[in-house]
Amino acid sequence: MSVHNSETNMQIKYDLGEFYDEMFASPGVPRPHYRNLLERFAELTAEEFNLKREAVDLSFLQQGITFTVYGDQKSTERIFPFDLIPRIIPKNEWHHLKIGLEQRIQALNLFLHDIYHEQKIIKDGIVPREILESAKHFRKEIIGMDVPNNIYIHICGTDIIRDDKGAYLVLEDNGRSPSGVSYMIENRQAMKKAFPKLFQQMGVRPITDYSDHLLSALKHIAPKNTLNPVVAVLTPGVYNSAYFEHCFLARQMGVEIVEGRDLVVQQDNCVYMRTTEGLKKVDVLYRRIDDDFIDPEAFRKDSLLGVPGLMRAYRAGNLGLANAIGTGVADDKVMYCFVPDMIKYYLDQEPILPNVETWLPYREKDLSYTLENMENLVVKAANEAGGYGMIIGPAASKEELAEFREKVKAKPRDFIAQTPISLSRHPTYCGDKGFGGRHIDLRPYIICGEKIKITPGGLTRVALREGSLVVNSSQGGGSKDTWVLNSDQ
Amino acid sequence: MLCRVADSLFWMSRYIERAENTVRLADVMLQTLLESEHAQDDISYSHWQPLLASLGEQEIFEDLYDSHDSHHVTEFLIFSRDNHSSVFSSIAAARENARMIRDQISSEMWEVINKLYLYLKNTDAKQVCHELNFNFFRQIKEYSLLFQGITESTFPHQLGYEFIECGRQIERADKTCRILDAKRYMKTTDDQKSDSLDYAQWAALLKGCSALDAYRQIFVADIEAANVRKFLILSRHFPRSVLFCIQKLQNALHSISQCPITHFSNEAERLVGRLISIIKYSTDKDLEGDGATKMITEIEDELAAIAIEINKRYMFSEIIDPALDTEEKKDDSVTSQSQTSS
Repeated sequence: MSVHNSETNMQIKYDLGEFYDEMFASPGVPRPHYRNLLERFAELTAEEFNLKREAVDLSFLQQGITFTVYGDQKSTERIFPFDLIPRIIPKNEWHHLKIGLEQRIQALNLFLHDIYHEQKIIKDGIVPREILESAKHFRKEIIGMDVPNNIYIHICGTDIIRDDKGAYLVLEDNGRSPSGVSYMIENRQAMKKAFPKLFQQMGVRPITDYSDHLLSALKHIAPKNTLNPVVAVLTPGVYNSAYFEHCFLARQMGVEIVEGRDLVVQQDNCVYMRTTEGLKKVDVLYRRIDDDFIDPEAFRKDSLLGVPGLMRAYRAGNLGLANAIGTGVADDKVMYCFVPDMIKYYLDQEPILPNVETWLPYREKDLSYTLENMENLVVKAANEAGGYGMIIGPAASKEELAEFREKVKAKPRDFIAQTPISLSRHPTYCGDKGFGGRHIDLRPYIICGEKIKITPGGLTRVALREGSLVVNSSQGGGSKDTWVLNSDQ
Repeated sequence: MLCRVADSLFWMSRYIERAENTVRLADVMLQTLLESEHAQDDISYSHWQPLLASLGEQEIFEDLYDSHDSHHVTEFLIFSRDNHSSVFSSIAAARENARMIRDQISSEMWEVINKLYLYLKNTDAKQVCHELNFNFFRQIKEYSLLFQGITESTFPHQLGYEFIECGRQIERADKTCRILDAKRYMKTTDDQKSDSLDYAQWAALLKGCSALDAYRQIFVADIEAANVRKFLILSRHFPRSVLFCIQKLQNALHSISQCPITHFSNEAERLVGRLISIIKYSTDKDLEGDGATKMITEIEDELAAIAIEINKRYMFSEIIDPALDTEEKKDDSVTSQSQTSS
């Protein structure tokens, strides 16, 4: 199993355990859509594989494809670890994901329009008013305001996982500014350079048109009668962990990247960039700054990142914003529980992609269940992200559980409980240990413009630590290229 | 072009030029010291003092270090994180500026800056300082030249290019002045005034500007003060002479504003035009003794003023919009900020 003996060819073998393994149906028997890949890898010597791996790492570092980790006194730049073994999704599975995600984004956009207008779903008793109004990112300020084409979430990065049977489940919808898409594109570039022949043989669907779709979705929300809309990416700045991505997208679309201090809102309620030739009007912003910080006049007064008066321009219809203000309400994990109900309510359809089984301590019955069974559940704070503010029952100590029970009892509205899902595993290069099975998830990127466009594949994140279920880049996660095939094998 | 982008292009280029020149200075100094008759540590510090003084860094150095031997000076000039003009700090600042605008520059430009940064970061500072690794100095210079070449051949020769040119030429002209200025400090600190020492010092200065070969082609005779000054200030053809750099700067400024070179359209252009005249119409007497010192100081001050005016006109300070009344303009100029300083 060692990959360090340069004479031997590549072999991927490890204990499959109790998990759903993406590559192997049973020990030694690959699933049909991985067969081709395994044959090609078997032709590689371990030395060749290592050379390719080192070349890819070096090229990521030299190109500065990095993210910033906070926590220490000074933040450090790291490359996002990349694993050379691609995750493969056959055509039929991708079709299932695609229609499920389309259904979901439609329901979410209808929901957002509804809650910021008539609030029919509240009046009909599907979603409790109390839940809506206590949602952290619910923005009363935009009630009654129309957004272009009634689209709120233009760019969505839904997190998908697979359970021990291999069923695809939605873990969360990221409807604010999901990141990671630049890694999806750079991973593909790196794989094409490392394994050019493989691509010719495998029939992998391309992902290069992401930025074209993004740009046309952004132009789609330009103020009416704008002939050649000026689009820009609004970033919090160079110290933001996703700054690389902001630049990457701006460069791919051929638009300016701006910071708050580059923009001014004038008396005419239009937004302008400061340029060396004077002020220039901006029509659409792809903003990667949270609602809270985007306009110190309207939201947090202490924000230095935002643009005073931006909301005035937005209200006046002189500026398109993607994503719209107020989409964070759908990222509230309590609201997530209602998405299947939204699909039924707005679309009169059964959800194609189910949620993870979830309890709402907000409901008395679920509260007692959660408290009694916490050692068997995963309990999460409704408004935290990145793997923070949660407890994994089976892994927690008695004291930790007791402490968390008190937290949930004190504010049941702020928590949800879920069955722990043992995420599917995928063969991954593990240094000296050779290859091992590591847990993965999937974040497909959905663009909602004139049409819904979902890039085939997405970002597969992998928890590199043995046994870990946390795939977040800030906590030891890495990524893989994700291949959607033109066929089922 | 965004004001912020113009600012970052200017500083990216200026910081790289600064790093290169600091390496040149340290390199020349160390090579000169190798040939010096006195090798003891405190004597060699007396050689370093003029250089540190001309860079305006003597005080910071003496605050930071108890021991003043060559290793520490080299460490201070090249690697120190506390010295904001050290080669490492300059490259880190150049990289930060490049990172802010990496969507605007070519990926080759970004990669060479990033490589240089990683190279510096992974270099063993002790090894370079103690064993005088001249190969290291050459590498840094070559990276800088590589960056200039890559910029020349991968970056559109449009507006952004002119801001890069402004940053580079201001820094280069300034550093040539400071190198010349270092000679003044050398004279006062050295008791044993002898012709051969004087000669060696002037030769070292020329080498520091990569100017020795070019100088020899024009002045076949000995290296002497008046000629070196004339050459490094007045040459119209040597790319590191003060006049040459400032004329390049003038061309860049007028390309940005599209104003004919016979006129000026802003304060930066006016100051540059005037400075060129002062240099061009100087007499031999202006370049002798105290006159030379006065002249060099004046050029340094004017360059600083020009940099400020460029910043005011094109970068953060003013909103150029006729609809705004002057009061609002003032308010905005107070709140806007520039992330860099010289």
